[in-house]
Amino acid sequence: MLFKQSEVIPEYYEFFNSVKIISGYKALETIPFELGRLGAKRPIIITDKGVSQAGLIKHVVDSFAGTDTVIGAVFDETPQDSSYLVVNQIAEIYRSQGCDSIIAVGGGSSIDTAKGVNIVITENTDDLLKFMGNYRLNKPMKPFVVIPTTAGTGSEVTMVAVIANPEKKIKMEFTSDLLLPKLAVLDPRMTVSMPPKITAATGMDALTHAVEAYIGSQKNPVSDAFASAAMNLIRENLIEAVKDGGNKDVRLAMANAALLAGLAFSNSMVGIVHAAAHATGGVCRVPHGIANSILLPFGLEFYIKKSPKVKALIENLLLPLAGPEVYVQTPQVERASKSVLVIREMAGELKKLSGLPVKLSEAGVTEDKLDEIARTTIDDGAVAFSPVEVSLEEAKGILKAAF
Amino acid sequence: MKDAKDYQEIVPGKKRFATLVTRIFFYFIGMGMQTAYRIDPDVRKEVDSWPETFSVRIAVVGGPSMLMLKKEGVFKYLGEKEAFCCDVELWFKNIEFAYLTMTARISVPNAIYHNRQFVRGNLKYTMSFMRVLNIVQTLLLPNIIARFYIKEVPRLTFRKMVNRVITYFNLGYGAIK
Repeated sequence: MLFKQSEVIPEYYEFFNSVKIISGYKALETIPFELGRLGAKRPIIITDKGVSQAGLIKHVVDSFAGTDTVIGAVFDETPQDSSYLVVNQIAEIYRSQGCDSIIAVGGGSSIDTAKGVNIVITENTDDLLKFMGNYRLNKPMKPFVVIPTTAGTGSEVTMVAVIANPEKKIKMEFTSDLLLPKLAVLDPRMTVSMPPKITAATGMDALTHAVEAYIGSQKNPVSDAFASAAMNLIRENLIEAVKDGGNKDVRLAMANAALLAGLAFSNSMVGIVHAAAHATGGVCRVPHGIANSILLPFGLEFYIKKSPKVKALIENLLLPLAGPEVYVQTPQVERASKSVLVIREMAGELKKLSGLPVKLSEAGVTEDKLDEIARTTIDDGAVAFSPVEVSLEEAKGILKAAF
Repeated sequence: MKDAKDYQEIVPGKKRFATLVTRIFFYFIGMGMQTAYRIDPDVRKEVDSWPETFSVRIAVVGGPSMLMLKKEGVFKYLGEKEAFCCDVELWFKNIEFAYLTMTARISVPNAIYHNRQFVRGNLKYTMSFMRVLNIVQTLLLPNIIARFYIKEVPRLTFRKMVNRVITYFNLGYGAIK
């Protein structure tokens, strides 16, 4: 409103990311050196049973061989939906073992748990409720390293942690740039053992992040660059990663795509697709990546119908989603719907290869739950960042279409 | 070269006009919410879903604020009373951002998109409070002006016009009182 909005440069934006990214062959072996630079010599490793049973923690532990950094403890019992009880338990182990830094190895749940532990240790508290919301953390955090084992959530570069409070039955959300890790390490050894269905789901999760960041309300030239790069990498590598999981180049490309998408959406935020996916996960326990994958085309169709401005942005998505040849050959008026079609085709191909659901009913959602999911959707914080207003009826419409 | 003692501190000026305008708008919003709870069924439904003694604060860092409290069946505007740790707090980072938002030079959604403000508290109740704020803005402002403040202006109905008149009356009565 202050002055005429340029199409490329918004009236005002903020972009921040302070994470050092190390990606590639034997990337894990840099961790002891980087921790040493941060004054840390005794990390705690936070992970889950799936990661340790897949033998991935051994890679991390082996990377410390030949250094004088001692691993203080390994906690591998992080549940899928982490709660403050687990966070406090880990913090107790951290203190009793004299640890001085945190390494999170795993997916979004382990990473969020580790962020929660960092809050508890740094603030010397056991009451996370006090820190819910934005800008509530003021002290410099303990050195924190993230090694993602999925190529999806992008949590290694986001400023948000979500921890459940089972007593109050709420999800506590913490947002602060202080939650960002010092280091994100992408090593292809960590994602090579991901099963095809999880590869597909987390890949589509990354795609949803990139797409929503590109059309989001806080989009800016910096986040657009990361989102476009992420979509290009996903277009070129996701199907191959599902077909040939042992291909380390493709696995590394997808890990980078997820990180780039995380950089994008962490600053330009997400919208109705994520709000509905969070709600579907909360009410019906559908994994986040699967929910995003199902809801993405329907969310985009909602935006196309509702807002010409967002429709124009979706038209531009066709270039990174389908490539320059398809983009140039598609008339402009058809580009938005073609973008949605390309996403549907990708999801369809992934369903054939890995059984990834494409409808909510295939993911175990029953019709009687749709109203509750819709109510939870409009209560999700992501709706505040949706570029268009979303009413309860409109949320129900999206869910019914996706059912 | 100057002596160290020759370097003087610079005390920033006060933005008195922006502060005054923001205070006035906070009054309108507070009284508007208090009235809307009594007359608008959608606002009542949202506020009734909050716990008892629920407090909401809109404030500017280093500047004015307003406090709403739900207690004993009433949703009351308490002016600029200080409150420790409200259930939901909506903060503007600078008086200038609050002033630009109140005077529609930045819409409320843009204030959110631009990170000119931040929120503390439970997100579910924050979203519910934002829906109440949207309804109150449509009560306080004619549609032609409200479109500069919110994402989507609802259709004007006879009931809405009546509620608007009641709200303006209460605003005036509250100011005189």
